[in-house]
Amino acid sequence: MLKIRKFFRYDNIGLVFVLPAFIYMLVFVGYPIISNIILSFQNVTVKNLVAGSKEFVGLKNYQDLFQDTVFVNAIFNTLLFTVSCLVIQFIIGFALAVFFNQNFRLSKAIRGLLMMPWMIPITVTGLIFKFIFGTDVGVLNFALQSMGLIQNNIEWLTTPGTAMLAVIFANIWIGIPFNMILISTGLTTIPQELYESASIDGAGKLQKFIRITVPLLKPTIESVLILGFIYTFKVFDLVYVMTSGGPVNSTHMLSTYSYKLSFEMFKYSMGSAVANVLFLILLGVSMLYLRTTTKEEA
Amino acid sequence: MGDEKIISGKKNFILSGVSVLILMGLLFPLFWIIVTSLKTEQEIFQIPPTLFPKIINLKSYAAQLGTGDFNMFRSFANSMIIALGSMVLAVVLAVPASYGIAKYNFKGRKVMLLGFMVTQMLPVSVLLTPMFIMFRNMHTYNTPIAAILADTTIGIPFSVLILKNYFASIPKELEEAAYIDGCNRFTAFVRVLIPIAKPGVIVCAIFSFLYAWGDLAYGMTFIIDQQKRPITAGIFNFMGQYGTKWSYLTAFAVVTIIPVALIFIFMQKYIISGMTSGAVKG
Repeated sequence: MLKIRKFFRYDNIGLVFVLPAFIYMLVFVGYPIISNIILSFQNVTVKNLVAGSKEFVGLKNYQDLFQDTVFVNAIFNTLLFTVSCLVIQFIIGFALAVFFNQNFRLSKAIRGLLMMPWMIPITVTGLIFKFIFGTDVGVLNFALQSMGLIQNNIEWLTTPGTAMLAVIFANIWIGIPFNMILISTGLTTIPQELYESASIDGAGKLQKFIRITVPLLKPTIESVLILGFIYTFKVFDLVYVMTSGGPVNSTHMLSTYSYKLSFEMFKYSMGSAVANVLFLILLGVSMLYLRTTTKEEA
Repeated sequence: MGDEKIISGKKNFILSGVSVLILMGLLFPLFWIIVTSLKTEQEIFQIPPTLFPKIINLKSYAAQLGTGDFNMFRSFANSMIIALGSMVLAVVLAVPASYGIAKYNFKGRKVMLLGFMVTQMLPVSVLLTPMFIMFRNMHTYNTPIAAILADTTIGIPFSVLILKNYFASIPKELEEAAYIDGCNRFTAFVRVLIPIAKPGVIVCAIFSFLYAWGDLAYGMTFIIDQQKRPITAGIFNFMGQYGTKWSYLTAFAVVTIIPVALIFIFMQKYIISGMTSGAVKG
Protein backbone atom coordinates (compact mmCIF):
# COMPACT_ATOMS: atom_id res chain seq x y z
CA MET A 1 0.00 0.00 0.00
CA LEU A 2 2.78 2.36 0.95
CA LYS A 3 4.58 1.44 -2.24
CA ILE A 4 1.52 2.32 -4.29
CA ARG A 5 1.19 5.67 -2.55
CA LYS A 6 4.83 6.39 -3.15
CA PHE A 7 4.47 5.50 -6.82
CA PHE A 8 1.62 7.94 -7.30
CA ARG A 9 3.28 10.87 -5.58
CA TYR A 10 4.74 13.48 -7.99
CA ASP A 11 4.72 12.80 -11.71
CA ASN A 12 3.21 9.36 -11.77
CA ILE A 13 -0.11 10.78 -10.63
CA GLY A 14 -0.42 11.88 -14.25
CA LEU A 15 -1.04 8.24 -15.13
CA VAL A 16 -4.32 8.33 -13.23
CA PHE A 17 -5.53 11.03 -15.61
CA VAL A 18 -4.23 9.48 -18.79
CA LEU A 19 -4.99 5.81 -18.28
CA PRO A 20 -8.77 5.80 -18.86
CA ALA A 21 -8.40 7.30 -22.34
CA PHE A 22 -5.32 5.24 -23.07
CA ILE A 23 -6.96 1.98 -22.09
CA TYR A 24 -9.99 2.90 -24.18
CA MET A 25 -7.73 3.37 -27.18
CA LEU A 26 -5.90 0.12 -26.47
CA VAL A 27 -9.16 -1.81 -26.42
CA PHE A 28 -10.85 -0.19 -29.41
CA VAL A 29 -7.84 0.64 -31.57
CA GLY A 30 -4.77 -1.24 -30.36
CA TYR A 31 -6.47 -4.61 -30.14
CA PRO A 32 -8.19 -4.27 -33.54
CA ILE A 33 -4.88 -3.39 -35.21
CA ILE A 34 -3.29 -6.57 -33.87
CA SER A 35 -6.30 -8.71 -34.63
CA ASN A 36 -6.46 -7.29 -38.14
CA ILE A 37 -2.89 -8.41 -38.71
CA ILE A 38 -3.69 -11.89 -37.40
CA LEU A 39 -6.85 -11.99 -39.51
CA SER A 40 -4.84 -11.30 -42.66
CA PHE A 41 -2.77 -14.45 -42.05
CA GLN A 42 -5.86 -16.60 -41.62
CA ASN A 43 -8.61 -17.75 -43.89
CA VAL A 44 -11.69 -16.13 -42.42
CA THR A 45 -14.88 -15.92 -44.43
CA VAL A 46 -18.51 -15.65 -43.43
CA LYS A 47 -18.51 -19.34 -42.42
CA ASN A 48 -15.91 -19.18 -39.66
CA LEU A 49 -16.14 -15.50 -38.70
CA VAL A 50 -17.70 -15.86 -35.27
CA ALA A 51 -17.31 -19.54 -34.52
CA GLY A 52 -15.31 -22.33 -36.06
CA SER A 53 -11.62 -22.90 -36.53
CA LYS A 54 -9.59 -20.29 -38.32
CA GLU A 55 -6.92 -21.82 -40.48
CA PHE A 56 -3.49 -20.18 -40.58
CA VAL A 57 -2.49 -19.64 -44.18
CA GLY A 58 0.70 -17.60 -43.83
CA LEU A 59 1.34 -15.05 -46.53
CA LYS A 60 -1.12 -16.62 -48.96
CA ASN A 61 -3.61 -13.74 -48.82
CA TYR A 62 -0.90 -11.24 -49.63
CA GLN A 63 0.45 -13.39 -52.44
CA ASP A 64 -3.04 -13.71 -53.88
CA LEU A 65 -3.51 -9.97 -53.67
CA PHE A 66 -0.50 -9.16 -55.76
CA GLN A 67 -1.87 -11.49 -58.46
CA ASP A 68 -5.16 -9.61 -58.32
CA THR A 69 -5.31 -6.86 -60.96
CA VAL A 70 -8.04 -4.99 -59.10
CA PHE A 71 -5.75 -4.69 -56.08
CA VAL A 72 -2.73 -3.61 -58.12
CA ASN A 73 -4.92 -1.05 -59.89
CA ALA A 74 -6.29 0.11 -56.54
CA ILE A 75 -2.77 0.97 -55.38
CA PHE A 76 -2.21 2.87 -58.59
CA ASN A 77 -5.61 4.59 -58.32
CA THR A 78 -5.05 5.62 -54.73
CA LEU A 79 -1.70 7.17 -55.65
CA LEU A 80 -3.08 8.94 -58.71
CA PHE A 81 -6.03 10.22 -56.72
CA THR A 82 -3.88 11.39 -53.81
CA VAL A 83 -1.21 13.13 -55.85
CA SER A 84 -3.70 14.87 -58.16
CA CYS A 85 -5.79 16.13 -55.27
CA LEU A 86 -2.76 17.18 -53.27
CA VAL A 87 -1.15 19.24 -56.02
CA ILE A 88 -4.30 20.99 -57.20
CA GLN A 89 -5.83 21.73 -53.79
CA PHE A 90 -2.48 22.99 -52.55
CA ILE A 91 -2.08 25.42 -55.44
CA ILE A 92 -5.65 26.73 -55.16
CA GLY A 93 -5.51 26.83 -51.36
CA PHE A 94 -2.21 28.70 -51.43
CA ALA A 95 -3.50 31.24 -53.94
CA LEU A 96 -6.65 31.83 -51.88
CA ALA A 97 -4.65 32.16 -48.66
CA VAL A 98 -2.44 34.84 -50.23
CA PHE A 99 -5.48 36.57 -51.69
CA PHE A 100 -7.41 36.65 -48.42
CA ASN A 101 -4.34 37.69 -46.49
CA GLN A 102 -4.85 41.13 -47.99
CA ASN A 103 -6.69 43.29 -45.54
CA PHE A 104 -9.77 44.34 -47.49
CA ARG A 105 -13.08 44.72 -45.79
CA LEU A 106 -14.70 41.38 -46.55
CA SER A 107 -11.55 39.27 -46.33
CA LYS A 108 -12.05 37.64 -42.93
CA ALA A 109 -15.78 37.07 -43.31
CA ILE A 110 -15.55 35.44 -46.72
CA ARG A 111 -12.54 33.34 -45.82
CA GLY A 112 -14.58 32.04 -42.90
CA LEU A 113 -17.49 31.10 -45.16
CA LEU A 114 -15.16 29.23 -47.48
CA MET A 115 -14.53 26.69 -44.70
CA MET A 116 -17.98 25.26 -45.23
CA PRO A 117 -17.07 22.54 -47.79
CA TRP A 118 -14.60 21.07 -45.35
CA MET A 119 -17.18 20.72 -42.62
CA ILE A 120 -20.18 19.13 -44.22
CA PRO A 121 -20.47 15.35 -43.94
CA ILE A 122 -18.60 13.67 -46.78
CA THR A 123 -21.62 11.52 -47.59
CA VAL A 124 -23.48 14.72 -48.45
CA THR A 125 -20.55 15.98 -50.52
CA GLY A 126 -20.59 12.70 -52.42
CA LEU A 127 -24.30 13.09 -53.06
CA ILE A 128 -23.90 16.70 -54.22
CA PHE A 129 -21.26 15.82 -56.77
CA LYS A 130 -23.07 12.73 -57.91
CA PHE A 131 -25.92 15.09 -58.72
CA ILE A 132 -23.76 17.72 -60.40
CA PHE A 133 -21.91 15.10 -62.49
CA GLY A 134 -25.18 13.34 -63.37
CA THR A 135 -25.60 12.51 -67.05
CA ASP A 136 -29.02 13.97 -67.80
CA VAL A 137 -29.82 15.80 -64.59
CA GLY A 138 -26.33 17.20 -63.97
CA VAL A 139 -25.75 20.90 -64.20
CA LEU A 140 -22.16 20.36 -65.37
CA ASN A 141 -23.19 18.72 -68.63
CA PHE A 142 -25.71 21.49 -69.18
CA ALA A 143 -23.06 24.17 -68.59
CA LEU A 144 -20.55 22.50 -70.92
CA GLN A 145 -23.18 22.07 -73.63
CA SER A 146 -24.37 25.64 -73.48
CA MET A 147 -20.78 26.82 -73.74
CA GLY A 148 -20.45 24.62 -76.81
CA LEU A 149 -17.63 22.55 -75.33
CA ILE A 150 -19.41 19.22 -75.73
CA GLN A 151 -22.01 17.93 -78.17
CA ASN A 152 -23.60 15.10 -76.19
CA ASN A 153 -23.94 14.59 -72.49
CA ILE A 154 -20.93 12.90 -70.92
CA GLU A 155 -21.65 9.91 -68.70
CA TRP A 156 -19.17 11.08 -66.11
CA LEU A 157 -19.72 8.52 -63.39
CA THR A 158 -20.33 5.49 -65.56
CA THR A 159 -17.27 5.84 -67.82
CA PRO A 160 -13.97 4.62 -66.32
CA GLY A 161 -11.66 7.58 -66.99
CA THR A 162 -14.13 10.36 -66.27
CA ALA A 163 -15.37 8.75 -63.06
CA MET A 164 -11.90 9.16 -61.60
CA LEU A 165 -11.87 12.79 -62.71
CA ALA A 166 -15.18 13.37 -60.95
CA VAL A 167 -14.07 11.92 -57.60
CA ILE A 168 -10.81 13.87 -57.77
CA PHE A 169 -12.76 17.03 -58.49
CA ALA A 170 -15.08 16.46 -55.51
CA ASN A 171 -12.20 15.73 -53.17
CA ILE A 172 -10.34 18.87 -54.21
CA TRP A 173 -13.46 20.82 -53.27
CA ILE A 174 -13.20 19.39 -49.75
CA GLY A 175 -9.44 19.89 -49.54
CA ILE A 176 -9.18 23.54 -50.61
CA PRO A 177 -10.40 25.07 -47.30
CA PHE A 178 -8.06 22.84 -45.32
CA ASN A 179 -5.05 23.98 -47.34
CA MET A 180 -6.18 27.60 -47.37
CA ILE A 181 -6.67 27.94 -43.63
CA LEU A 182 -3.40 26.27 -42.66
CA ILE A 183 -1.40 28.37 -45.10
CA SER A 184 -3.26 31.50 -43.94
CA THR A 185 -2.20 30.79 -40.39
CA GLY A 186 1.36 30.25 -41.57
CA LEU A 187 1.32 33.58 -43.41
CA THR A 188 0.34 35.52 -40.30
CA THR A 189 3.47 34.28 -38.50
CA ILE A 190 5.79 35.98 -41.00
CA PRO A 191 6.99 39.26 -39.48
CA GLN A 192 5.80 42.31 -41.39
CA GLU A 193 9.16 44.06 -41.06
CA LEU A 194 10.76 41.56 -43.39
CA TYR A 195 8.55 42.68 -46.25
CA GLU A 196 9.07 46.32 -45.38
CA SER A 197 12.85 46.11 -45.36
CA ALA A 198 12.76 44.08 -48.56
CA SER A 199 10.73 46.87 -50.16
CA ILE A 200 13.32 49.39 -49.08
CA ASP A 201 15.97 47.24 -50.70
CA GLY A 202 13.95 47.43 -53.90
CA ALA A 203 12.48 43.92 -53.98
CA GLY A 204 9.43 43.40 -56.18
CA LYS A 205 6.30 41.43 -55.24
CA LEU A 206 7.43 38.24 -56.92
CA GLN A 207 10.89 38.45 -55.36
CA LYS A 208 9.40 38.94 -51.90
CA PHE A 209 7.20 35.92 -52.45
CA ILE A 210 10.06 33.66 -53.54
CA ARG A 211 12.68 34.96 -51.11
CA ILE A 212 10.59 35.56 -47.98
CA THR A 213 7.16 33.90 -48.09
CA VAL A 214 8.11 30.49 -49.45
CA PRO A 215 11.22 29.83 -47.30
CA LEU A 216 9.54 31.00 -44.10
CA LEU A 217 6.45 28.94 -44.84
CA LYS A 218 8.45 25.76 -45.38
CA PRO A 219 7.42 24.08 -42.09
CA THR A 220 3.75 24.90 -42.76
CA ILE A 221 3.97 23.66 -46.34
CA GLU A 222 5.54 20.42 -45.16
CA SER A 223 2.84 19.66 -42.65
CA VAL A 224 0.04 20.69 -45.04
CA LEU A 225 1.34 18.31 -47.69
CA ILE A 226 2.08 15.37 -45.39
CA LEU A 227 -1.22 15.69 -43.51
CA GLY A 228 -3.00 16.17 -46.83
CA PHE A 229 -1.39 12.99 -48.11
CA ILE A 230 -2.53 11.01 -45.08
CA TYR A 231 -6.11 12.31 -45.19
CA THR A 232 -6.41 11.84 -48.94
CA PHE A 233 -4.75 8.45 -49.14
CA LYS A 234 -7.25 6.90 -46.74
CA VAL A 235 -10.27 8.35 -48.57
CA PHE A 236 -13.29 6.11 -48.22
CA ASP A 237 -16.70 7.76 -47.84
CA LEU A 238 -16.47 10.02 -50.86
CA VAL A 239 -15.51 7.34 -53.35
CA TYR A 240 -17.85 4.79 -51.81
CA VAL A 241 -20.81 7.17 -52.11
CA MET A 242 -20.00 8.49 -55.59
CA THR A 243 -18.93 5.33 -57.43
CA SER A 244 -18.49 2.45 -54.93
CA GLY A 245 -15.28 1.70 -56.82
CA GLY A 246 -16.98 1.36 -60.19
CA PRO A 247 -17.47 1.46 -63.11
CA VAL A 248 -15.63 -1.85 -63.70
CA ASN A 249 -13.44 -1.28 -60.63
CA SER A 250 -11.88 1.79 -62.23
CA THR A 251 -12.13 4.00 -59.13
CA HIS A 252 -11.36 1.42 -56.47
CA MET A 253 -9.07 2.81 -53.80
CA LEU A 254 -7.33 0.56 -51.27
CA SER A 255 -9.98 1.48 -48.69
CA THR A 256 -13.00 0.84 -50.89
CA TYR A 257 -11.58 -2.41 -52.23
CA SER A 258 -10.86 -3.56 -48.69
CA TYR A 259 -14.45 -2.77 -47.79
CA LYS A 260 -15.80 -4.59 -50.81
CA LEU A 261 -13.78 -7.71 -50.06
CA SER A 262 -14.81 -7.77 -46.41
CA PHE A 263 -18.39 -6.57 -46.37
CA GLU A 264 -19.75 -7.30 -49.84
CA MET A 265 -17.87 -10.48 -50.72
CA PHE A 266 -17.35 -11.57 -47.09
CA LYS A 267 -13.70 -12.47 -47.67
CA TYR A 268 -12.72 -10.92 -44.36
CA SER A 269 -9.10 -12.04 -44.41
CA MET A 270 -8.50 -10.69 -47.88
CA GLY A 271 -10.08 -7.37 -46.92
CA SER A 272 -7.86 -7.22 -43.85
CA ALA A 273 -4.77 -7.83 -45.94
CA VAL A 274 -5.67 -4.90 -48.22
CA ALA A 275 -6.29 -2.71 -45.17
CA ASN A 276 -2.88 -3.66 -43.80
CA VAL A 277 -1.14 -2.62 -47.00
CA LEU A 278 -2.92 0.72 -46.74
CA PHE A 279 -1.96 0.97 -43.08
CA LEU A 280 1.68 0.19 -43.75
CA ILE A 281 1.96 2.95 -46.35
CA LEU A 282 0.27 5.46 -44.05
CA LEU A 283 2.45 4.44 -41.14
CA GLY A 284 5.54 5.18 -43.19
CA VAL A 285 4.29 8.62 -44.11
CA SER A 286 3.13 9.29 -40.53
CA MET A 287 6.59 8.54 -39.21
CA LEU A 288 7.96 11.08 -41.64
CA TYR A 289 5.43 13.60 -40.32
CA LEU A 290 6.13 12.86 -36.67
CA ARG A 291 9.84 13.27 -37.26
CA THR A 292 9.28 16.77 -38.59
CA THR A 293 6.84 17.86 -35.86
CA THR A 294 8.22 16.20 -32.74
CA LYS A 295 11.39 18.22 -33.15
CA GLU A 296 9.42 21.22 -31.87
CA GLU A 297 7.29 19.25 -29.43
CA ALA A 298 9.66 17.76 -26.86
CA MET B 1 1.02 40.43 -49.32
CA GLY B 2 0.30 40.63 -45.65
CA ASP B 3 -0.21 44.37 -45.70
CA GLU B 4 -1.04 45.44 -42.18
CA LYS B 5 -2.97 48.54 -43.16
CA ILE B 6 -6.58 48.13 -44.10
CA ILE B 7 -7.17 48.47 -47.80
CA SER B 8 -9.83 51.01 -48.69
CA GLY B 9 -11.25 52.92 -51.62
CA LYS B 10 -11.25 51.56 -55.14
CA LYS B 11 -8.89 48.68 -54.39
CA ASN B 12 -11.09 47.52 -51.53
CA PHE B 13 -14.06 47.60 -53.87
CA ILE B 14 -12.35 45.47 -56.52
CA LEU B 15 -10.91 42.95 -54.05
CA SER B 16 -14.24 42.58 -52.27
CA GLY B 17 -15.95 42.04 -55.62
CA VAL B 18 -13.48 39.35 -56.61
CA SER B 19 -13.82 37.64 -53.25
CA VAL B 20 -17.61 37.51 -53.60
CA LEU B 21 -17.17 35.86 -57.01
CA ILE B 22 -14.80 33.29 -55.47
CA LEU B 23 -17.33 32.62 -52.74
CA MET B 24 -20.15 32.13 -55.21
CA GLY B 25 -18.05 29.79 -57.31
CA LEU B 26 -16.82 27.64 -54.47
CA LEU B 27 -20.12 27.42 -52.60
CA PHE B 28 -22.23 26.89 -55.72
CA PRO B 29 -22.57 23.12 -55.06
CA LEU B 30 -24.13 23.85 -51.68
CA PHE B 31 -26.47 26.47 -53.09
CA TRP B 32 -27.41 24.05 -55.83
CA ILE B 33 -28.64 21.23 -53.59
CA ILE B 34 -30.59 23.61 -51.37
CA VAL B 35 -32.35 25.03 -54.43
CA THR B 36 -32.90 21.57 -55.86
CA SER B 37 -34.46 20.32 -52.65
CA LEU B 38 -37.14 23.00 -53.04
CA LYS B 39 -38.04 22.11 -56.62
CA THR B 40 -40.56 19.61 -57.88
CA GLU B 41 -39.27 16.43 -59.51
CA GLN B 42 -40.26 17.70 -63.00
CA GLU B 43 -38.51 21.01 -62.50
CA ILE B 44 -35.29 19.26 -61.48
CA PHE B 45 -35.14 17.45 -64.82
CA GLN B 46 -36.11 20.50 -66.82
CA ILE B 47 -33.71 21.86 -69.46
CA PRO B 48 -32.48 24.54 -69.14
CA PRO B 49 -32.35 24.16 -65.35
CA THR B 50 -33.87 26.95 -63.29
CA LEU B 51 -31.60 28.88 -60.92
CA PHE B 52 -34.42 29.32 -58.41
CA PRO B 53 -37.52 27.18 -57.95
CA LYS B 54 -40.62 28.59 -59.66
CA ILE B 55 -42.73 27.73 -56.64
CA ILE B 56 -41.18 26.73 -53.32
CA ASN B 57 -42.04 23.07 -52.99
CA LEU B 58 -41.69 21.63 -49.50
CA LYS B 59 -43.15 18.26 -50.41
CA SER B 60 -39.77 16.54 -50.51
CA TYR B 61 -39.28 17.43 -46.87
CA ALA B 62 -42.80 16.79 -45.68
CA ALA B 63 -43.07 13.41 -47.39
CA GLN B 64 -40.04 12.04 -45.59
CA LEU B 65 -40.69 13.41 -42.15
CA GLY B 66 -42.96 10.95 -40.49
CA THR B 67 -43.40 7.87 -42.59
CA GLY B 68 -41.77 5.20 -44.65
CA ASP B 69 -38.60 3.24 -44.49
CA PHE B 70 -36.47 6.31 -45.07
CA ASN B 71 -37.83 8.33 -42.21
CA MET B 72 -35.70 11.46 -42.15
CA PHE B 73 -36.71 12.47 -38.67
CA ARG B 74 -35.79 9.11 -37.17
CA SER B 75 -32.44 8.99 -38.98
CA PHE B 76 -31.75 12.47 -37.71
CA ALA B 77 -32.55 11.44 -34.13
CA ASN B 78 -30.36 8.33 -34.47
CA SER B 79 -27.45 10.46 -35.63
CA MET B 80 -28.04 12.90 -32.79
CA ILE B 81 -27.87 10.12 -30.21
CA ILE B 82 -24.70 8.70 -31.73
CA ALA B 83 -22.96 12.06 -32.16
CA LEU B 84 -23.87 13.39 -28.71
CA GLY B 85 -22.96 10.10 -27.05
CA SER B 86 -19.62 10.00 -28.77
CA MET B 87 -18.99 13.66 -27.97
CA VAL B 88 -19.60 13.17 -24.24
CA LEU B 89 -17.50 10.03 -24.08
CA ALA B 90 -14.60 11.60 -25.97
CA VAL B 91 -14.59 14.75 -23.85
CA VAL B 92 -14.89 12.89 -20.53
CA LEU B 93 -11.93 10.69 -21.41
CA ALA B 94 -9.78 13.17 -23.32
CA VAL B 95 -9.88 16.16 -20.95
CA PRO B 96 -8.15 14.42 -18.02
CA ALA B 97 -5.81 12.57 -20.37
CA SER B 98 -4.61 15.75 -22.03
CA TYR B 99 -4.06 17.37 -18.63
CA GLY B 100 -2.03 14.37 -17.47
CA ILE B 101 0.11 14.46 -20.58
CA ALA B 102 0.62 18.22 -20.44
CA LYS B 103 1.50 18.55 -16.77
CA TYR B 104 3.15 15.34 -15.55
CA ASN B 105 6.30 13.70 -16.73
CA PHE B 106 5.49 10.09 -15.84
CA LYS B 107 7.06 6.98 -17.29
CA GLY B 108 5.64 6.04 -20.66
CA ARG B 109 4.34 9.53 -21.35
CA LYS B 110 6.11 9.77 -24.69
CA VAL B 111 4.90 6.37 -25.83
CA MET B 112 1.32 7.24 -24.98
CA LEU B 113 1.57 10.58 -26.77
CA LEU B 114 2.97 8.83 -29.82
CA GLY B 115 0.12 6.34 -29.58
CA PHE B 116 -2.49 9.10 -29.72
CA MET B 117 -0.70 10.72 -32.64
CA VAL B 118 -0.52 7.55 -34.69
CA THR B 119 -4.17 6.60 -34.15
CA GLN B 120 -5.17 9.94 -35.61
CA MET B 121 -3.76 8.79 -38.92
CA LEU B 122 -5.31 5.33 -38.97
CA PRO B 123 -7.56 4.42 -41.89
CA VAL B 124 -10.96 3.08 -40.81
CA SER B 125 -10.40 0.05 -43.04
CA VAL B 126 -7.93 -1.41 -40.55
CA LEU B 127 -10.41 -1.27 -37.69
CA LEU B 128 -13.66 -2.23 -39.42
CA THR B 129 -13.49 -6.03 -39.49
CA PRO B 130 -11.94 -6.53 -36.02
CA MET B 131 -14.46 -4.09 -34.53
CA PHE B 132 -17.25 -5.85 -36.39
CA ILE B 133 -16.27 -9.16 -34.77
CA MET B 134 -15.75 -7.51 -31.40
CA PHE B 135 -19.15 -5.80 -31.38
CA ARG B 136 -20.84 -9.03 -32.37
CA ASN B 137 -19.23 -10.77 -29.42
CA MET B 138 -20.11 -7.88 -27.12
CA HIS B 139 -23.74 -7.99 -28.33
CA THR B 140 -23.58 -4.32 -29.22
CA TYR B 141 -23.69 -5.00 -32.96
CA ASN B 142 -26.66 -3.29 -34.62
CA THR B 143 -27.11 -0.86 -31.71
CA PRO B 144 -26.13 2.82 -31.47
CA ILE B 145 -23.58 1.84 -28.81
CA ALA B 146 -21.38 0.20 -31.45
CA ALA B 147 -21.30 3.39 -33.50
CA ILE B 148 -20.68 5.52 -30.40
CA LEU B 149 -17.78 3.35 -29.26
CA ALA B 150 -16.22 3.35 -32.73
CA ASP B 151 -16.67 7.08 -33.41
CA THR B 152 -15.10 7.96 -30.08
CA THR B 153 -11.80 6.49 -31.27
CA ILE B 154 -11.60 9.45 -33.69
CA GLY B 155 -12.59 12.08 -31.12
CA ILE B 156 -10.21 11.06 -28.33
CA PRO B 157 -6.82 11.40 -30.05
CA PHE B 158 -7.84 14.63 -31.73
CA SER B 159 -9.04 16.10 -28.43
CA VAL B 160 -6.01 14.96 -26.44
CA LEU B 161 -3.59 16.54 -28.87
CA ILE B 162 -5.48 19.85 -29.01
CA LEU B 163 -6.13 20.17 -25.29
CA LYS B 164 -2.62 19.20 -24.28
CA ASN B 165 -1.49 22.54 -25.72
CA TYR B 166 -4.14 24.44 -23.78
CA PHE B 167 -3.18 22.83 -20.47
CA ALA B 168 0.53 23.23 -21.15
CA SER B 169 0.06 26.98 -21.58
CA ILE B 170 -1.56 27.44 -18.16
CA PRO B 171 1.11 28.77 -15.74
CA LYS B 172 2.11 26.52 -12.84
CA GLU B 173 1.47 29.33 -10.35
CA LEU B 174 -2.27 29.12 -10.88
CA GLU B 175 -2.27 25.45 -9.95
CA GLU B 176 -0.02 26.07 -6.94
CA ALA B 177 -2.30 28.85 -5.73
CA ALA B 178 -5.15 26.38 -5.81
CA TYR B 179 -3.19 23.92 -3.66
CA ILE B 180 -2.54 26.64 -1.10
CA ASP B 181 -6.27 27.33 -1.04
CA GLY B 182 -6.78 23.72 -0.01
CA CYS B 183 -7.39 22.00 -3.33
CA ASN B 184 -5.86 18.63 -4.08
CA ARG B 185 -4.76 17.48 -7.54
CA PHE B 186 -8.26 16.49 -8.57
CA THR B 187 -10.23 19.40 -7.20
CA ALA B 188 -7.66 21.84 -8.60
CA PHE B 189 -8.08 20.17 -11.98
CA VAL B 190 -11.86 20.38 -11.90
CA ARG B 191 -12.31 23.80 -10.31
CA VAL B 192 -9.34 25.74 -11.64
CA LEU B 193 -7.81 24.17 -14.73
CA ILE B 194 -10.84 23.01 -16.68
CA PRO B 195 -12.54 26.42 -16.52
CA ILE B 196 -9.37 28.05 -17.89
CA ALA B 197 -9.09 25.51 -20.69
CA LYS B 198 -12.79 25.87 -21.54
CA PRO B 199 -12.32 27.22 -25.08
CA GLY B 200 -10.20 24.16 -25.84
CA VAL B 201 -12.81 21.85 -24.34
CA ILE B 202 -15.43 23.44 -26.59
CA VAL B 203 -13.24 22.89 -29.66
CA CYS B 204 -12.89 19.22 -28.72
CA ALA B 205 -16.60 18.81 -28.10
CA ILE B 206 -17.46 20.37 -31.46
CA PHE B 207 -15.00 18.27 -33.41
CA SER B 208 -15.93 15.04 -31.66
CA PHE B 209 -19.55 15.77 -32.49
CA LEU B 210 -18.78 16.60 -36.12
CA TYR B 211 -16.64 13.51 -36.66
CA ALA B 212 -19.40 11.28 -35.37
CA TRP B 213 -22.11 13.19 -37.24
CA GLY B 214 -20.25 12.85 -40.53
CA ASP B 215 -19.23 9.23 -40.14
CA LEU B 216 -20.49 6.78 -42.72
CA ALA B 217 -18.22 3.72 -42.52
CA TYR B 218 -18.90 2.79 -38.88
CA GLY B 219 -22.59 3.64 -38.98
CA MET B 220 -23.35 1.53 -42.02
CA THR B 221 -21.12 -1.39 -41.05
CA PHE B 222 -22.12 -1.82 -37.42
CA ILE B 223 -25.82 -0.93 -37.72
CA ILE B 224 -27.79 -2.82 -40.34
CA ASP B 225 -31.43 -2.00 -39.62
CA GLN B 226 -32.50 1.05 -41.59
CA GLN B 227 -34.62 2.18 -38.62
CA LYS B 228 -31.56 2.37 -36.38
CA ARG B 229 -29.08 3.78 -38.85
CA PRO B 230 -27.59 7.28 -38.66
CA ILE B 231 -28.61 9.82 -41.26
CA THR B 232 -25.47 9.44 -43.41
CA ALA B 233 -26.05 5.72 -43.79
CA GLY B 234 -29.72 6.48 -44.40
CA ILE B 235 -28.84 8.68 -47.35
CA PHE B 236 -26.51 6.04 -48.69
CA ASN B 237 -29.23 3.40 -48.54
CA PHE B 238 -31.70 5.72 -50.14
CA MET B 239 -29.30 6.43 -53.01
CA GLY B 240 -28.95 2.72 -53.58
CA GLN B 241 -32.70 2.16 -53.78
CA TYR B 242 -34.07 5.33 -55.36
CA GLY B 243 -30.94 6.68 -57.03
CA THR B 244 -32.70 9.24 -59.20
CA LYS B 245 -35.25 10.63 -56.79
CA TRP B 246 -33.19 13.78 -56.47
CA SER B 247 -35.87 15.91 -54.83
CA TYR B 248 -36.01 13.55 -51.85
CA LEU B 249 -32.26 12.93 -51.82
CA THR B 250 -31.33 16.60 -51.79
CA ALA B 251 -33.87 17.31 -49.05
CA PHE B 252 -32.31 14.50 -47.02
CA ALA B 253 -28.88 16.03 -47.61
CA VAL B 254 -29.97 19.52 -46.59
CA VAL B 255 -31.37 18.18 -43.32
CA THR B 256 -28.04 16.45 -42.66
CA ILE B 257 -26.21 19.74 -43.09
CA ILE B 258 -28.45 21.73 -40.71
CA PRO B 259 -26.64 20.94 -37.41
CA VAL B 260 -23.29 21.47 -39.10
CA ALA B 261 -24.41 24.82 -40.48
CA LEU B 262 -25.67 25.91 -37.06
CA ILE B 263 -22.39 24.99 -35.40
CA PHE B 264 -20.59 26.74 -38.20
CA ILE B 265 -22.58 29.95 -37.84
CA PHE B 266 -22.40 30.22 -34.08
CA MET B 267 -18.99 28.75 -33.34
CA GLN B 268 -16.83 29.58 -36.31
CA LYS B 269 -13.86 30.82 -34.30
CA TYR B 270 -13.63 27.51 -32.45
CA ILE B 271 -13.64 25.60 -35.70
CA ILE B 272 -10.83 27.55 -37.25
CA SER B 273 -8.78 27.28 -34.08
CA GLY B 274 -9.42 23.54 -33.99
CA MET B 275 -8.39 23.04 -37.58
CA THR B 276 -5.20 25.01 -37.32
CA SER B 277 -3.94 23.93 -33.91
CA GLY B 278 -4.92 20.33 -34.49
CA ALA B 279 -3.12 20.10 -37.75
CA VAL B 280 -0.09 22.28 -37.34
CA LYS B 281 0.90 21.14 -33.90
CA GLY B 282 -0.20 17.61 -34.74
